[in-house]
Amino acid sequence: MARTRSKPAAKVSKEIITPETTAPATLPPSAANPLRLFVLPKDTSRDARIVTLSHPATATPTRYYFCPEKGFYEFTKIAAPRSSPRSWLLAPPRSHKADGPSKSAVEDTASVDKGYITKSADLFIATPLDILFLLLPALAPKSTAKEHQKQLFLSLDDHLDTLTANSPHLKHLLRTPKLKARIAKRMQSVSDIVDAGDEKMYRLSSPKLVAALLQRAERMAANGLPASMEEKFVCSALDVPVLDLPREDSGVNVSESSEATDSQSQTTAVATPTEDSQTTVKSETTDATSTTSVSPPVIAAPEGIPHLLRLRTALSLLLSLIPPTLHASINAALVAPIVDFTPLNAHLAHLASLRQKSAALRSVSDNISRKRTLDEDADEQAEIRAEKRRKKEEDEKKKKAESRSLKQLKKVDTSGMKKLSSFFAAKPAVKK
Amino acid sequence: MLEARLEQANLLKKVVDAIKDLVQDCNFDCNDSGIALQAMDNSHVALVSMMLKSESFSPFRCDRNIALGINLTSLTKVLRAAQNEDILTLKAEDAPDVVNLVFESAESDRISEYDIKLMDIDQEHLGIPETEYAATISMPSAEFQRICRDLMALSESVSIECSKEGVKFACQGDIGSGSVTLRSHTNVDKPEMNVEIDLTEPVSLTFSLKYLVGFCKASSLSGQVKLCLSNEVPLLVEYALANNSYLRFYLAPKIGDEE
Repeated sequence: MARTRSKPAAKVSKEIITPETTAPATLPPSAANPLRLFVLPKDTSRDARIVTLSHPATATPTRYYFCPEKGFYEFTKIAAPRSSPRSWLLAPPRSHKADGPSKSAVEDTASVDKGYITKSADLFIATPLDILFLLLPALAPKSTAKEHQKQLFLSLDDHLDTLTANSPHLKHLLRTPKLKARIAKRMQSVSDIVDAGDEKMYRLSSPKLVAALLQRAERMAANGLPASMEEKFVCSALDVPVLDLPREDSGVNVSESSEATDSQSQTTAVATPTEDSQTTVKSETTDATSTTSVSPPVIAAPEGIPHLLRLRTALSLLLSLIPPTLHASINAALVAPIVDFTPLNAHLAHLASLRQKSAALRSVSDNISRKRTLDEDADEQAEIRAEKRRKKEEDEKKKKAESRSLKQLKKVDTSGMKKLSSFFAAKPAVKK
Repeated sequence: MLEARLEQANLLKKVVDAIKDLVQDCNFDCNDSGIALQAMDNSHVALVSMMLKSESFSPFRCDRNIALGINLTSLTKVLRAAQNEDILTLKAEDAPDVVNLVFESAESDRISEYDIKLMDIDQEHLGIPETEYAATISMPSAEFQRICRDLMALSESVSIECSKEGVKFACQGDIGSGSVTLRSHTNVDKPEMNVEIDLTEPVSLTFSLKYLVGFCKASSLSGQVKLCLSNEVPLLVEYALANNSYLRFYLAPKIGDEE
């Protein structure tokens, strides 16, 4: 990625950022460093920058947007699908013209005044990032092996030193006192603290961290996940396979099918956009269970399942921002007293078995379906016919090759003559 | 590796000639004791068994047991190219695709060589026990051939009755009936004209003449033919060859259906 210089505007949320080496206005063949389109947060301070910090989970250098007032933002790249290539056409902003270009934007307007086309239709969106995630690499043990040892209490500066070693930009950012105070606050929320004289010493506390993560995940799940994620991670996972074959054992059939309709109605209810509040969804599903089920459903609480699944999806997304050395301890802590995933696991296992069954049934029903058998029959018959024809031709050939006397011998009346094999026993075939 | 040299191609020509009207394809089983053949006709009522002992060849070499599946019509075609007096050499590899025949003319230095493609023949082999027959008749092969041909004009089947009196070949057809009776007879000057009847009990059996006429094609192989009969047992027609080699035919009797 080209090195870019951010020029946040005070009012507009959409802002064009030009790289330093902007192509001249005359039609260039194609700029080596084209403009990129960013969507930046509103009302950021003048000192906001794009900085390079090491990614909390992967430790690779990654761009973040930093505003001393609002904190860190991470960039999400939204690209057009490769199958349908697109470009941006940037028209000169009218408002700018009306207001007169601001001092910092002079350069930009000069280049985009006549319009600008970027080849790649990428859009970078800055979304807020909790400082906590940037801090975790410093707080986390360096490797899983050391996890068992007691971690030392360290001062805030010591922790930050380890961070700045990897991300030199951070050092400059830390000069702003507001940021340091915010860091201290976030660190407190996940650490055990001891007072050492006038300084506070921090050490990562796993229960606190898990609680913080869980709280975050709960918030993510509370209003439902974004529609596309909901579809991918929740609906499809809870999709009950359609069992289309009539089954013989009606006793099992009733309960299973009712259950199937339960969860189906459930998932459809869940799939409705997030403006539906969670409570209404729940009531709907309970209604559905009460009306459709003949016998009590096999699974205990289907209405809790989607929420649990959402929670787990949220947590797994959060884990992608957390150093891998911490994953094991976090996963281990996510058990019964804090959050109980067992009903979800049971339900998913049940669904898996149902899916397997339906797959098996489908393959069976495919085999016995009329069309298939007809096809097979036709194939087989054609094969048999071909075989017969081949044999007939062969026989004819043989017959022609037969000598006249052999043919005459065939006409001999052999009635009353026993076959020689009835007189002489067949010799066991000797291997030559 | 098989290499078998026959002093006279005649022998093989005649053997194949005698068999080819009974069997279409058959295996020539070669081992160190010689070349053997066993095959049944299409109706499985007649069986031909040939044994050409290794002593009949000079030299004879067979390292491994080989089955040469040969179409007799093809073999006849090739053998037609050989003169009766030619020296015939049979050759085959251990796992052969072809059998190689070389004919060497005794008089001139003419050498002709033929390859016959072999075929895989799935044949059932019958174990034929040594049997004590109730009646054994030796007679000139030409005489037997003549009887069969004559009676064939009247009927399809012949009854062979063997008693103390002699052996009676009788038949009954649409135009009438006929019979030929032979008695034991010894010709001192021409021993091949002898008729010997060795009888332990009287025998009367009926056989298909068509088949017997077919067997008689081997008459040129040997001056004498031996008929062995027992009640309810296939007839054995044997043409003895030199060096204990033989050509034998078995024919199932007609039972019940007297016509």
